[in-house]
Amino acid sequence: MEWSALVNMYGVYKAYPGNVEALRGVNLNIDKGDFVFIVGPSGSGKSTLLSMIYRGTVPTRGHVLVSGRNIARLRWREVPMLRRRIGVIFQDYKLLLDRSVYENVSFALEVIEASPKEIEKKVPQALSMVGLAHKASAMPGELAGGEQQRVAIARAIVNDPLILVADEPTGNLDPDTALDIMDLLCDINLRGTTVVMATHNQVIVDMMRKRVVQLERGMVVRDERWGAYCYEA
Amino acid sequence: MKLRTVRLLSGQAVRSLKKTPSVTSIIVVMACMIVLSSFMLVAVNLTHIGSQFQADVQIRAFLVPDLSPDVADRARAAIQGIPGVASVAFVGKDEALQRLGKQLGQDSFFLGDLPRNPLPESFDISLIRADVADEVAAATSEVDGIHDVRYAPKLVDRLVGVLRILWGITGAIAVLVLVGASLIVSNTIKLTVFARRKEIEIMKLVGATDSFILFPFVLEGIIIGFLGAGAAAAIVYAGYQGVVKWISSVAPFMPVVTDTSRLGVAVVVMLCFGAVVGLIGSNISTKRYLKV
Repeated sequence: MEWSALVNMYGVYKAYPGNVEALRGVNLNIDKGDFVFIVGPSGSGKSTLLSMIYRGTVPTRGHVLVSGRNIARLRWREVPMLRRRIGVIFQDYKLLLDRSVYENVSFALEVIEASPKEIEKKVPQALSMVGLAHKASAMPGELAGGEQQRVAIARAIVNDPLILVADEPTGNLDPDTALDIMDLLCDINLRGTTVVMATHNQVIVDMMRKRVVQLERGMVVRDERWGAYCYEA
Repeated sequence: MKLRTVRLLSGQAVRSLKKTPSVTSIIVVMACMIVLSSFMLVAVNLTHIGSQFQADVQIRAFLVPDLSPDVADRARAAIQGIPGVASVAFVGKDEALQRLGKQLGQDSFFLGDLPRNPLPESFDISLIRADVADEVAAATSEVDGIHDVRYAPKLVDRLVGVLRILWGITGAIAVLVLVGASLIVSNTIKLTVFARRKEIEIMKLVGATDSFILFPFVLEGIIIGFLGAGAAAAIVYAGYQGVVKWISSVAPFMPVVTDTSRLGVAVVVMLCFGAVVGLIGSNISTKRYLKV
């Protein structure tokens, strides 16, 4: 077990009320700069595993270390500091529909009390990165699904996170738009941000040939460096 | 928290006040505060009247009829020496008759028809404190030349008892208002929190601190409590001025509290109470949404 990795999971169990076991003895290391697909059927524990990285939940047993800190032992006021180093995107984008594209992205900096100067510098950069600089004043409702996901990605990366956690980010998108989003995530990864992505999209996983961690019934059943969506003979 | 952030969040709180049905909460808080402050004013005034009564408690010691001046002087000196006695004043037969005439007013006409003055001479004994009345009365009755001792201990005791009950009721109302009004404010804030739950979730995910998230809601609660209490204070203050005016015209001898500085303190206490109501209410409604 390599303890110097960006994310270490060792013997992680997670049980929800009603004795539902989402994770059962997961061991996993994710290094800085990795691009990891988490695959597996619905209910296999993918989202639970991802949420442990940003401390959306804590293990019932075992240890999860992010950047060397045990997330279960973080004090309540330290949790926001951890989350400032982690970007999160979801299938449903989670955008504020009453705010413009620019405001949705600047919101992530405002809430961590960044200076106006920093906001003015970083928000256009993030929007350029996702190719939406020209739609800064548009409202989310005026955008297509892929563009809305780009806004969510811009919001997630605007604070230069160490890790980008993506929970089925292409789940609501058509195949072409999904590929555009994957190109964007690859670019972000090439710039040094670790990307951990849960997905059901076989085409994308098979095409990109990145590291694949497969979960089944809460256990890691496969961890391949250049894997495909399914076992290959 | 930076000043810029405080400005930003305060703006959010004020905008939210305009969106949610906060007027209903303000009116309910106001109604609760009017009840509470009315009880407080009654209790404050009765306490004031009570303290005046207690300060005015006097023992009257009647002398044996036709007592020689020497014996009367010795009795006076003996009473003056009793612990708890502030002063002793002699009241002659004529003065006693004059006092009775004043008390009777228009009905005093018959006093002139009396064949002789039937009232005895007496001493008016003032006390240092009202609670020594029993001891002083007992010691005075033992003094040579004293025929009878009278005072009104039961009136004082009853007044103290009534005040105790009144303050108890006021305290209970304060607790009920605190709980009830806090829940009303809490429900209003809950609407705001519910409307903004997605925003709160995103704030948590991008690393906002709890204090950053809580601030606008707490401020909104405090403003609701403050406005409710402020409106109540204005109504009660104006109403009280009217009552004071009325009492001073129908019962000018009634010692009601008119001291502006004391009433000012009462207003400040009400405003603070309202703010606490808002603070508690907003905390109740936001805590569970922070557990993301």
